[in-house]
Amino acid sequence: MRRSHRPLSLRALALALVGLLVLSVLSACSSAVDEANGSSGSDSGPSDGGTLRIGSTSDIVPATIFTNSSDATNTLIGAVYDSLIDYPLDSLEPQPRLAKSWQVADDGLSITLQLRDDVTFHTGRDFTSKDVEFSVKTWADPTWTVQLQRTAAAITGFDTTDPHAITLKFDHKLSNIFDLLDMLPIIDSETFDDLKAGKTYVGTGPFEFESWTPSSKVVFKKNDDYWGEEPHLDGIQVNIVSDPQAQVSQLRSGQLDLVTGASNRDLETLGKDSKFAVSGFDGAVQQIYVGADLANPDLQDVRLRQAIAFAIDRQRIVDEVFRGKGTPINLPWPDYSPAHDAKANETYTYDPAKAKALVAELGSSPTIPLAYPAGNANYEAVAQIVQANLEAVGIKTELQPAEYSQFIKQLIGGTFGGLWILQHGYAHYTPSTLAVSAYPFNADKNASHFESSAYKEHADSAWNQDSGSSPEAVEDYKLLNKDLLDNLFLIEMALLHFQTAETKDVHDLGMSKRGELDLRSTYLSD
Amino acid sequence: MSESLIDIAAPEATSPDDQFDQRRRPGIWTALRRGKGLAGLVLIGVVVALGLLAPVLAPHSATEQIPGANLVGPSGAHWFGTDEVNRDIFSRTLYGIRTDLIVVFLAVPIGAAIGIFVGLISSWWTFTDVVAQRVFDLVLAFPTLILAIALTAFVGPGLRTVFFVIVAVELPVFGRLTRTSVRSVREMPYVEAAHVVGAGSLWQLRRHVLPNSMEPLLVQLAVSMSVAVFIEGAMSFLGLGVRPPQPSLGSLIRDGVRNLYDAPFFAVGPLVIVVALVLSLLLVSQALAEARRA
Amino acid sequence: MGAYLLRRLPSALVVLAIASFGIFAMVRMVPGDPVSTLAGPDASPEARAAIRADLGLDQPLVTQYVTWLGQLFRGDFGTSYRIGGSVKDLVADGAVNTIVLTVTALLLAMAVALVCSVLAVVLDNRWVNATLSFGNTLAIALPTFVTGLVLILLFAVVFPVLPAGGTPPDGFLARPDLSVQYLLLPAVCLALGAGAALTRFLTESLRTELRQPYVTTARALGISRRRIVLTQALRNALPSAVTVLGIQFGTLLGGAVLVEAIFTWPGLGGLIEEAISGRDYPLVQVLLLLSVGVFVVIQLVTDVIHAWLDPRIRIGAQA
Repeated sequence: MRRSHRPLSLRALALALVGLLVLSVLSACSSAVDEANGSSGSDSGPSDGGTLRIGSTSDIVPATIFTNSSDATNTLIGAVYDSLIDYPLDSLEPQPRLAKSWQVADDGLSITLQLRDDVTFHTGRDFTSKDVEFSVKTWADPTWTVQLQRTAAAITGFDTTDPHAITLKFDHKLSNIFDLLDMLPIIDSETFDDLKAGKTYVGTGPFEFESWTPSSKVVFKKNDDYWGEEPHLDGIQVNIVSDPQAQVSQLRSGQLDLVTGASNRDLETLGKDSKFAVSGFDGAVQQIYVGADLANPDLQDVRLRQAIAFAIDRQRIVDEVFRGKGTPINLPWPDYSPAHDAKANETYTYDPAKAKALVAELGSSPTIPLAYPAGNANYEAVAQIVQANLEAVGIKTELQPAEYSQFIKQLIGGTFGGLWILQHGYAHYTPSTLAVSAYPFNADKNASHFESSAYKEHADSAWNQDSGSSPEAVEDYKLLNKDLLDNLFLIEMALLHFQTAETKDVHDLGMSKRGELDLRSTYLSD
Repeated sequence: MSESLIDIAAPEATSPDDQFDQRRRPGIWTALRRGKGLAGLVLIGVVVALGLLAPVLAPHSATEQIPGANLVGPSGAHWFGTDEVNRDIFSRTLYGIRTDLIVVFLAVPIGAAIGIFVGLISSWWTFTDVVAQRVFDLVLAFPTLILAIALTAFVGPGLRTVFFVIVAVELPVFGRLTRTSVRSVREMPYVEAAHVVGAGSLWQLRRHVLPNSMEPLLVQLAVSMSVAVFIEGAMSFLGLGVRPPQPSLGSLIRDGVRNLYDAPFFAVGPLVIVVALVLSLLLVSQALAEARRA
Repeated sequence: MGAYLLRRLPSALVVLAIASFGIFAMVRMVPGDPVSTLAGPDASPEARAAIRADLGLDQPLVTQYVTWLGQLFRGDFGTSYRIGGSVKDLVADGAVNTIVLTVTALLLAMAVALVCSVLAVVLDNRWVNATLSFGNTLAIALPTFVTGLVLILLFAVVFPVLPAGGTPPDGFLARPDLSVQYLLLPAVCLALGAGAALTRFLTESLRTELRQPYVTTARALGISRRRIVLTQALRNALPSAVTVLGIQFGTLLGGAVLVEAIFTWPGLGGLIEEAISGRDYPLVQVLLLLSVGVFVVIQLVTDVIHAWLDPRIRIGAQA
């Protein structure tokens, strides 16, 4: 073995020097992080300009653009489109948007809306009553699989003689008509083929769609001719960052201004950090529940379902998984809902002793599968807590994480054969919307294989009321609540609020009841 | 990290030229009694012992949820802290080792055994050889993780899936290696001579091919075992690994990563063990490979 | 050489043909279907039927396969179910990102391997060797997901000097100085294992080369070890390293799946994961076929280089 005793070679020295040079040039160049951190505007008060960079968990899916199925989709709909009316976050009192005023007919079978006459689409075309008709008909088309398809399909007559007023005639009374008017985006008929192809999205909203790079980003620019107050932001860029952890990293490193997918724990930490703010939007809610498939012979006995409802420690789930940003529930309704019933909502509280007694009555039962969508930290934690809770009272379960695609297929096909954990929405709208639309609650066909003529009758009756908050409707909701609590085919666990985390530079952030960011008055400071 | 990347770490292992001198050398086994080999073996021994003794060493069971202990930091009661559903991470890490041991010492040998068998049988006839080669090509054509994603779509996430993926990945690797050995051994003068005198195929396989292929296969086995730890980790990291509440080193690391900002301590223990396991297996494979060359 | 390539080509095509059938069948055997994923939980049966017809999934399987093959031959890769755009554009966009990342990692790995192996052989110092060997083993032993996270935590969160992920906002060419910074962490993460493996290989080759008789002669003539390494030995050792490089490229492409996930790099890895989980048949099929294609090409190239380096193989193949 020879050893070189020469001094360090010249060449190696030169190499090291070149390396140093490259490094110093790099550091002298502008830093990508600083560039990413740069924003304009300085003084206090709303300032104009700047692009808001939002981190979104999932990309837009053109085929399901109207289904609120991804956070990027929600941002797109909220930015590009206007609805006819707006619900405030915490009530069901319709507020004007594209419709200035409205009148429901005395027989409850039609509604007449007065439309704004100063609205144009991003293409420059005037907005008229024909566009309302087109939008409603689009939603009635089953291929778009929107939640309120049945409600849109129940609108069968359109009077569009006046370009700035429209009368919608219903097949039957629709207590949830305002839900539809709130959710329905007014879309441009001329560019509809491009919408289908995911090429462009034309509406009348505060921002114009500029470009979409699949699985990367969606870009919007300000609509200079917006009929309302002109937005402060020059534009919006939605970056698709599928990993929640990566979203937080990019928010911290200044590549994003706002993230919509951070985990509750990260939100809690960010909220304590002086550089970041966490916004909670209490009216836009989701519910997390345990579903029971009654096709499973053990679950057929309501006492086992009751035992499960008593065994689950809802408060622990809210505290530990959702970091206190939620409310334990038995019924899906938020407290401003006409169907809300504080007493009924506490029918099943955490009571392991009672659960054990019920299980003892039934004797031993085999292991029950417990499915949940794989890859989501919240579902995973909740599933493991539920499993431990049930095991403590003598109910054995086997966790079955399923890929989302398979999970949805099982939900639709009703092939869980046991318990499953999922979230649902739509309980913060008119209560009848839930029972006729949301799949887990659907009285006609649901994943629980729950069939009851009484439940179906009550759901239909609530739908056929003049108004969603009339005393008759409230009576129907009481019956529905009783159906839900007595039959427990869905065991509600917690009501969850939408939250975003953003840098302190982001001001006046809003959110619609639909769960879409409302960026009309948002501005960036430095 | 995938297979061929580490293949190269033992460049001589597949080189046919190397096979000509096949007299028994004392080196290969003594290599494990000193230096790298010994260090590797000891390290493996420690990790295996930790895993096997989990029920004795662990203060809690792998799934026990301790009331009130939500993501608490390391302390005397919980050496590695607790996780987001109040379980003792130290205990979970010990039990998690067991999951990885199953993968390393069961899945890899099974994949290897099938691969060697297929490689031996198919390489004896030209037709089966061509078919087997193409099938191996096809499997190897998919990067390991893409294969894992596709397989998970079939059978859902779980330890079973990790097992399948590892067997599927190792099978062609060992099949090819065996085939290379077989072909080079067959061309050796004494085997050709045996063939000429009319020795049967099976006899040739047993008498000459298998013993002479042992060493490269052993090296590859150690390499594949370390790759298996990677695969388990990467699959769990992507959410395709073992099902909760069962712990594995990969799933513990992923859980730790989810809590990176609040609980940076979380992933440290499992990380150290994964690196130790991979490192020790690599050391053994390197020691074996170097001994063959020496 | 051309003749050799020509002989190897049919078998490569056979692999591709079998793969196309296998992939088509496999994709459809996977449980879960694109229609229910697209339609979501609340769709009515009519809605699902309408979507099924829209996607052409109501056709017999044989028709679907033949249609797909026909499209492929015309260079039409179809339209993605979920994303809506042309599969060709989607794959091209993703491929650019993946290739930029992979090539950067490859160059990085090569640079590291050259410097480290030459340093190890030239200095031939016990401590340098031990350090390099230790670093090497560690680099191979550290899982990508570990190094990636540590890199992000260190350089993007604790000391925020580099982006935590993503690609440059205006593409790679607009601001090369920014692109370098976006590329640095993921490329280092991806290059680590490959660089270590290459270093080992090259060091080993150089050592073997230095045991050759001509080296002894040269040393006896008074030519320095450093000079021999840099002029002669390196030149002789490089060709086989190039072959290894070919294998590495394929491996790196595979490893990119994980690195892309960690650094939210919008490449082919994320695309294929999304495509499979959304049961986006046209996209999955093309991506899987592409990965087989890349492998076949790499194999072909490696074989050809082997044949070029070693005439025995060329002649043997004729027999």
